[in-house]
Amino acid sequence: MNGLLVPVLLILFAPLLGGLAYGFERIIRARMQRRTGPPLLQPFYDFLKLADKRKMIVHSTHAFLGIMHFLSLWFALAVLFLGGDLILVIFLHLLSTSLLILSGYSTRSIFSHLGANRTAISVLAYEPVLILIAVSVFILTGSFDSASIFSYSQPLLFKMPLAFVALLMILPIKLKKSPFDVAEAHQEITGGVELEFSGIFFEAIYTAKWLDYVFCYTLVYLFGANNPFMGLALVIFAFLYVNALDNSSARVNYKQMLRFSLMVALPVAFINLLITILHLS
Amino acid sequence: MKLNSFRKKSPWILHYNAGGCNGCDIEILACLAPKYDIERFGMINTGNPKQSDILLVTGPVTKRSRERLVEIYAQMPEPKVVVSCGSCASTGGIFRGMYNCEGGIDQYIPVDVYVCGCGARPEQIIDGVVQALAILEKKTKELEQSVRLKKEPVMEGGQLNRRNIAGEIIKLPGQ
Repeated sequence: MNGLLVPVLLILFAPLLGGLAYGFERIIRARMQRRTGPPLLQPFYDFLKLADKRKMIVHSTHAFLGIMHFLSLWFALAVLFLGGDLILVIFLHLLSTSLLILSGYSTRSIFSHLGANRTAISVLAYEPVLILIAVSVFILTGSFDSASIFSYSQPLLFKMPLAFVALLMILPIKLKKSPFDVAEAHQEITGGVELEFSGIFFEAIYTAKWLDYVFCYTLVYLFGANNPFMGLALVIFAFLYVNALDNSSARVNYKQMLRFSLMVALPVAFINLLITILHLS
Repeated sequence: MKLNSFRKKSPWILHYNAGGCNGCDIEILACLAPKYDIERFGMINTGNPKQSDILLVTGPVTKRSRERLVEIYAQMPEPKVVVSCGSCASTGGIFRGMYNCEGGIDQYIPVDVYVCGCGARPEQIIDGVVQALAILEKKTKELEQSVRLKKEPVMEGGQLNRRNIAGEIIKLPGQ
């Protein structure tokens, strides 16, 4: 019972945590550009304001898919926090992303279609790497469960540092940060799939973005799982790294992103898998 | 603690250039840059009409851009305010009377705040947007007010005639 309390609380307050992370990120990004930046609670102000706006929907399926994207992402996060199967978590995350892609295709807006195409391509870029990392974890700990990482004797970082490198390579793709933010590309396709959402339905997409932060940084935390300080240090490092990269780099196009992911990040993850297998035998 | 009081803390701006010379646009972008940094008030330059609150228009309305201007205005969900930025957008400026331009955006959409200057200085733009926020607050309150009908619907030839009621409602807001 006591062991369940922390994960359940984390699941319940995950959007809150993600909102704080997003607000903190906006401040950090502003400070990196020598600006003051918005207040810490700015994402929540946005949230409350969006609830007041008039509700405009393109059609009901579109709005429904947006809300289901949020709910399925939260479900994936719940499975991850409760120590579930890593492969299941990755595929639940894929399910939520594919709902978003479907909602992008369900309207007639050309920007929405472009955004959906690009989101699908970015899924193609990060998904194989994540699965290879999960397989390496299975070979190391003997189980796909994320709970097994916590009970493993050493932090994962010391056992498979290359997997962490591969994860750092795909984090900007997953979080839609420069240089790999083709899926969102605010100056180019004005947000992509989230273009046609407005008011309270955009809120679902906006909050799902916060949940994505929690999801990604939890994956980072798993690499230092059995030492909380080390896990937190890794999360802070990944946070600063992603934001510094976001501020200092320009957007690459989707071909370059795909080439980088499949030619650099995927081989790194694969080499890590081979080393893990050879190391054990 | 009233949750409603937070809503003017996150105005999202949509910036549209209706055929101006880009002078005002550069000043608007200077507002986002480190020196003026309007993001500290929670303002974001969204570029998506469906999620924005404030329409910031520069330039006299050229005949090519007026349809887009009206369309963008129609796509924004209420409550919304319009700020005309610079003398071209307010009156037509030096382009007034030319064959390809209209004199100012208020011929096509209702404008709430006029910001003068050619090009408008960033301080003025920020001041105009802050004034627009007060108007946004007022408009939101008006939207929340319930409208009471004073006239009974009239039956004409077996159908309800709602024209009188509509006339009554249109008079009400703003008092």
